[in-house]
Amino acid sequence: MIAFEAVSHRYGAVEALREVSLEVPSGALCVLLGESGSGKSTLLRTVNRLVEPSAGRVTLQGRDVAAIDPQALRRGIGYVIQSVGLFPHRSVAENVATVPRLLGWDRARIEARVDALLAMVGLEPRAYRDRPPATLSGGQAQRVGLARALAADPPVLLMDEPFSALDPGTRRELQAALRRIHAETGKTILLVTHDVEEALALASRVAVMAGGRLVAEGVPAEVFGPGAPDVVRRMVRAGALAFHRLAALDAAAAAAPGPAPGAPLLPAGARLSDALLLMLEHGTGCLALEGDPPRHLTVAGLLGHSAP
Amino acid sequence: MTRRALRLGAEAVAFLAALLAAPQAEALWRALFPEVARPTYLQDPWLSLLGWHLALSLGAVALAALIGVPAGVLATRAGGRRLRPLLDAVFSLAQSIPPVAAIALALPLLGFGAAPTLLALVLYAALPVLRATVSGLDSVPPGAVEAARGLGLSGWQRLRDVELPLARPVMLAGLRVAVTLSVATTAVGAIAGTRCLGTPIVTGLANANPSYVLQGAIFTAWLALLLDRALGLLAPAAPEGPARP
Repeated sequence: MIAFEAVSHRYGAVEALREVSLEVPSGALCVLLGESGSGKSTLLRTVNRLVEPSAGRVTLQGRDVAAIDPQALRRGIGYVIQSVGLFPHRSVAENVATVPRLLGWDRARIEARVDALLAMVGLEPRAYRDRPPATLSGGQAQRVGLARALAADPPVLLMDEPFSALDPGTRRELQAALRRIHAETGKTILLVTHDVEEALALASRVAVMAGGRLVAEGVPAEVFGPGAPDVVRRMVRAGALAFHRLAALDAAAAAAPGPAPGAPLLPAGARLSDALLLMLEHGTGCLALEGDPPRHLTVAGLLGHSAP
Repeated sequence: MTRRALRLGAEAVAFLAALLAAPQAEALWRALFPEVARPTYLQDPWLSLLGWHLALSLGAVALAALIGVPAGVLATRAGGRRLRPLLDAVFSLAQSIPPVAAIALALPLLGFGAAPTLLALVLYAALPVLRATVSGLDSVPPGAVEAARGLGLSGWQRLRDVELPLARPVMLAGLRVAVTLSVATTAVGAIAGTRCLGTPIVTGLANANPSYVLQGAIFTAWLALLLDRALGLLAPAAPEGPARP
């Protein structure tokens, strides 16, 4: 568990963080959502002491991070940044092996780990191991960045706008990969973004920041509910809040048992926003859900479940 | 790469052959300078002049690197950034002293011989090393340094494993400039009595013997060009650097 206790930080005259208190439960994928300058990245960086708070404290599993040697602390926390920051003079495998090498793992263990990680992030080890980073696309590079962050199996992963520099299609692929990895590994993930859709696609919890303060926090469907703060409303197109909220809700939870012969098929894991778009696309009010036993989703079911 | 190395090797052999042949080429020097009574420089073996010249100029660059690289590293650290204008000013001032003047000023303190020459050369060569170190370290992608920090590399590990390897091409280019400057300038040391490829030049000037001057000038310039290209081989077009298609 990560806990922020009344954390404040000043850059000269600028108050970047004002008494932020937040608890991120173990295993959560908590998204820090906010506009530029809201303090979300600064808050993230207090966890691995890239930023030292001027007041308040941050604890990791109950231990004050200020009491842990910064290098040792950082080797135990995964860190992914928007610019990826792969070392251009090192191969993909050497990049991924950075932290295990610092920790003095033996070569066989490192090699096995590198291959397992590349496979986990969706890169065929034999094809990518020896490539120089300059030959990778943006999406491939960030997959390597993610593998490098996970290399020493840290319980906590910090991600600072990890997908913001990618094109929309690649971004959705990487988001899907992250969701899968989160489900497989159960890591506690703290992810910073300014993208509402990304927050809704990923978050198990969302914390909204503005002007250095925490303005809303909770499960996404609550935070994006009718009581959403003005900052949240400002971040989505006027009136689109209710639609965006559908992206936080699983379609399966709104479905009813029984088959729907001939109805369009909604893929497993889809959200209610996907369901609504599929209904609009086919001009139908009924969808069949992929999977067993047979289930279907109607407009009434969708509206009933999305009602706050 | 290998073809360039071979061509350079061949040229180095030609250089040495010319150096050994110079005392025997009486006919050539006499044809070029018919008015000079003794046109062939025979006072010192050319190989020993070359040895001294190389030892002095490369030794000076090594010393300049020992000063300039740490100064450049210091100027790019978070804590040393404020020193940057000061360091640059000091090194610029050092280079702005003409080597001849530096030698003249150092003579009363250090006496005749290699010492004042070495001092003048180090003052002269330290600036390009400093500047190249600073711009090389500045050119390292900030994302790589940030990631290294976030992954738990210590300051020293970041410098050794990430920053210096990525700054290397730019630093080697600076070293190349320093070597070329130093080799070409070492000849001035002859006025302080240092034996080097400049000795025939100074002797020739003192005795109104343009043939000596020409012989010294040919080998000094040729050596500088040769070393410049040899270092060009060591600093290839950045196979490890960022952004290759």
